[in-house]
Amino acid sequence: MIRKDEVAGRLKLNEGLAVAALADFLRDGVENAGASGLVLGLSGGVDSALAGALAARAIGAERVHAFYLPYRSSEPQSAIDAAAVASRFGLELTTIDITPQVDAYFEHVDREADRVRRGNKMARERMSILFDQAKKHGALVTGTSNKSEILLGYTTVFGDNASSLNPIGDLYKQQVWQLARSLGIPETVVAKPPSADLWPGQTSEGELGFEYAMADEVLYLMFDQGLTADEVVDRGYPEVVVGRIVRLERAHRFKRRLMLIARLSGSAINLDREIPRD
Amino acid sequence: MPERRSQVKVGLAQIDARLGDLEFNLAHHLEWIGQARAEGVELLLFPELSLTGYRLLHLTPRVAIHPATSPIVQRLCKAAPDMAVVVGCVEEDENGALYNSALLLAGDEITHVHRKLYLPTYGIFQEGRFFSEGRTLRMAKLFGNPLGILICEDFWHSDPAEKLARHGAKLIGIISAAPGRIGPDAMPPSQEAWESLTRASALLNTSWIVYCGRVGWEEGTFYTGGSHIVRPGGELLARAPYLEEHLLTAEIDLREADRLRWRLPILADERSDIEWQE
Repeated sequence: MIRKDEVAGRLKLNEGLAVAALADFLRDGVENAGASGLVLGLSGGVDSALAGALAARAIGAERVHAFYLPYRSSEPQSAIDAAAVASRFGLELTTIDITPQVDAYFEHVDREADRVRRGNKMARERMSILFDQAKKHGALVTGTSNKSEILLGYTTVFGDNASSLNPIGDLYKQQVWQLARSLGIPETVVAKPPSADLWPGQTSEGELGFEYAMADEVLYLMFDQGLTADEVVDRGYPEVVVGRIVRLERAHRFKRRLMLIARLSGSAINLDREIPRD
Repeated sequence: MPERRSQVKVGLAQIDARLGDLEFNLAHHLEWIGQARAEGVELLLFPELSLTGYRLLHLTPRVAIHPATSPIVQRLCKAAPDMAVVVGCVEEDENGALYNSALLLAGDEITHVHRKLYLPTYGIFQEGRFFSEGRTLRMAKLFGNPLGILICEDFWHSDPAEKLARHGAKLIGIISAAPGRIGPDAMPPSQEAWESLTRASALLNTSWIVYCGRVGWEEGTFYTGGSHIVRPGGELLARAPYLEEHLLTAEIDLREADRLRWRLPILADERSDIEWQE
């Protein structure tokens, strides 16, 4: 039986091996695709900072095209942090303000749209720019979603969760923090409260209603170890938090299996014919 | 073929493979055979499915070969007339059945074919969907000595290695493409499992165990490397690094297994007449 006090230790990673393997994943992905390099959005947060550091290590900073894509309500600190990360790893950073196109859409189409719709639109504008830049450079888009937020569905479908390849999608948030520190990502970036920065004052943990440190442990016990919700609660995790995590995980599975195709032929893509992309 | 002798220089070619690209992989094998020859290797092992890559899924039939008539096998034989070489391939038999096979090439011909006995079909493994199971276990020969050859999952069942040892093998080679995992320790958990198995088998079967793994990424899974050689009795003689291509070589003395068996006759003491009583 796994005790509650053991779980955090089980989530620790050997930093040298994990970083080497993930950098190798990006290098291999770029080579296999015959791409020139990698494109990524730096938000000023720790997830994209880690992805950027891994990309620089994998293929050299000069082949990584980093973009800071603010909206008018983005926290001013985000720009400072994105610049600090780019400078720390020698990445060329281009800033493109997404305000005109996001505002143009809502002013023209629906002035009453709520902040969630506006936030999703921002995430998809960023995705759209990153894929366009990738096409321009013959590069691939680096994913920056971590395992915690993917499992909880705390992503915009076809927005920040869209990528060509994602080096950090099997890392829980606390594993992101661990590797980020080991690679020398500025502490201001690692230590600040996680935020999608889609509206002023937004924090991930505030919206989710629990802290990542606990969510990671609950997700590890359920998703990685196969325990039931009751078995997790028995180990001392609050029932209300476990219940919320179970509902979020269930409700957002559709975001993890993106190409849902209605099968008629008996030779449907991905269902009957699994052809590796490598 | 040289006369029976007990000293053998073994080489483990811990390489990456390009998925589904026989020509590329053949060229890669030829380079490594050249390097091994320069180091005086007499028995060279390549990883499981070394000629095709592992995670083939529906590509499996497209890279199948008939070993007896395959030009690829002929080119390998010509490249290593003075060396015994074990390679992994998708073998198609006369009835069109596909096997995950190991070929032993020696003296310009195929001297042994081992068809994988246990096909893992659980977790990320899907071999049972694409391959037929091997049905027989036979002894290979190396310079007049019995040689056991197994493939990956065959070694997660104690019976095949034990059968080989009881029929005279003092050296058992395992070729593998085992997906890796990274945890808190300097040794990846996936390799900790492998070394527990190889060392226990070297003790229980009082045999040399050589394990050839691979490296590289295929569609989001990586292979750890960490190929190694274990002395009869379980002591680790040599280990290749993790996550990088490497040629691990060692001079081994098959008489070491005899000397251990004289002191520790557990193989000879094995009984098959013990009755189960309810």
